[in-house]
Amino acid sequence: MLDAAPPDTPLIQMLDIDKQFGGVHAVRAVSVDLYPGEVVGVLGHNGAGKSCLMRMLSGAMTLSGGQINVNGEQVDLKTPQDAKRYGIETIYQTLALANHLDAAANLFLGRELKTRFGNLDETRMYAEAKDALHQLNPNFKNLKDPVSKLSGGQRQVIAIARAIYFQAKVLIMDEPTAALGPSETAMVADLTIRLKNEGIGIFLISHDMHDVFDLCDRVIVMNKGRNVGAFRIEDVNKDDILSLIIRGTLPDEWTPRGQSA
Amino acid sequence: MVTDDGKSKLGFLPTGSTLHKISALLTLILLIVAFSFTSPAFLSVNNGLTVLLQTSVIGLLAIGMTMVIITGGIDLSVGSVLALSGVVAGLIIKAGVPVAPAMALGILAGATCGFVNGIVITKMRITPFVATLGMMMIARGIALQLTGAAPISRLGNAFGLLGNGSFFRIVEMQDNGFPKVVFAGIPYPAVLLIVMAALGAFLLQKRQIGRHIFSVGSNEEAARLSGVNVDRTKIWAYTASGALAGLAGMVLMSRLVTVQPNEGVMYELDAIAASVIGGASLMGGVGSISGSMIGSFIIGVLRNGLNMAGTSAFIQQIIIGIVVIGAVYIDQLRNRK
Ligand SMILES: Nc1ncnc2c1ncn2[C@@H]1O[C@H](COP(=O)(O)OP(=O)(O)OP(=O)(O)O)[C@@H](O)[C@H]1O
Ligand SMILES: [Mg+2]
Repeated sequence: MLDAAPPDTPLIQMLDIDKQFGGVHAVRAVSVDLYPGEVVGVLGHNGAGKSCLMRMLSGAMTLSGGQINVNGEQVDLKTPQDAKRYGIETIYQTLALANHLDAAANLFLGRELKTRFGNLDETRMYAEAKDALHQLNPNFKNLKDPVSKLSGGQRQVIAIARAIYFQAKVLIMDEPTAALGPSETAMVADLTIRLKNEGIGIFLISHDMHDVFDLCDRVIVMNKGRNVGAFRIEDVNKDDILSLIIRGTLPDEWTPRGQSA
Repeated sequence: MVTDDGKSKLGFLPTGSTLHKISALLTLILLIVAFSFTSPAFLSVNNGLTVLLQTSVIGLLAIGMTMVIITGGIDLSVGSVLALSGVVAGLIIKAGVPVAPAMALGILAGATCGFVNGIVITKMRITPFVATLGMMMIARGIALQLTGAAPISRLGNAFGLLGNGSFFRIVEMQDNGFPKVVFAGIPYPAVLLIVMAALGAFLLQKRQIGRHIFSVGSNEEAARLSGVNVDRTKIWAYTASGALAGLAGMVLMSRLVTVQPNEGVMYELDAIAASVIGGASLMGGVGSISGSMIGSFIIGVLRNGLNMAGTSAFIQQIIIGIVVIGAVYIDQLRNRK
């Protein structure tokens, strides 16, 4: 595939990001960038610091060090609202749903639609939520049940629908298909490609090598909080990635695969 | 944490929260029937009005308490804040200010106490239990200090209007020259309770703030990540609770036409019991104003009926204590499922 040179300013630049919790150094001097219409995989073993890195971009966590640029300008993402204002939407690994509320209330939580008198516009929120959810899962029922009653997959669908409903420019997907069945997983893969083609930049955290090689343009691998490798997906194969994830280094005889081929 | 409020798989059966409300309502009716047997005077119009008056104070407190409980918090300061608000209003009237603005300032004093609770809880990260326990001591202390622990009386007839007046009261002059009350009327406090309960229910069900209150109690982290201003929502709830405690203080002191700095001790427990009996969960995320109103009437009827039956104040304490523990126990059973 011959792709044009990426535009000069990346959508997102994370530079020398650090995160410490007391003695725990969760993220160490990690730099990564993201261009429009690109899917960047963030890989690593459990506890490698992937979620922490992404949560700092979501405004859910403060930086201990480093800098975040959006469209080339330094930003200070103090709250999730700040990040959303820059068009950064997140599907959290924990889903971040309020169990006692129904699907529509969760989808619009914090950004409720209102009538002209300022009351909650339940009818419109319900209709929009129904549309958004049915795009991902045409069989989605139980729209009026509290989400605590729904299956893990249904809950994940709500979290995904919420992130894409508000026209993200940057989408962070933290293991978005962990609880999904094969058809929903395929749906999310299609969706990812569609959004990418619309010019949205996507960070994808996944443990599924199949998804990673199908969807990502580039990957970064984290090991014990460090960025141990950033590659175009053509330059690595599954074994290289696994070696990086597990040992933190490439196989000894490694050369960029894309060039040798 | 996954909670189950018991929605039935069979669609025609009422859902968990409705079921809870219906059982609370049945309890209330059962209590009324039982008490009308133990004391004949219980079911009189006059006594009905007394219950309504007593319940209006608990009910006003329970509206604010319910909002706070839905956020996953608790407000132990309402009894003391009620007294402090009354003292503030009383002292201001004594300084020569008319009743209406003085009462407004009393309510404002209550709202301020609630606001301080909210700030201490959100900004200093003190648990609601400890923060409002502290406010309970502070507000009571200020009320007693300002008055030297003495009641403020001779506040004028206008001060007694809110607690003692009523709509549609019909009084006929009899031939012997004495007035005869044909219809006792609907007491102002009861009307006030209905208005505030309707307003509270509207805010909780139809407005963004209500939605946010539920979300914060349901999953605080999820609410934060979704863009809900968690601190602001909590501060709002505690301020509302304080303001309603102030309003309850106005009603109570007005009914006595005297400001008593010792009034309202332990009222917070009645309000908490009313909310929990009405289906609010101390774990947060669940509760309703309508349920809490039924709960308030259960507490009000229980106290009044025990009084009428001649039960001693000590036994009453024991019974209400058992009811509170029982209600919280049922709440936990619901959550454990
Ligand atoms: N709020 C927190 N307080 C303290 N330590 C934390 C916190 N969040 C994460 N950590 C620690 O930071 C490290 C990185 O966690 P992180 O959640 O980023 O891992 P991850 O790469 O997303 O793992 P997984 O694949 O299991 O989701 C872990 O050691 C974790 O214990
Ligand atoms: Mg993670």
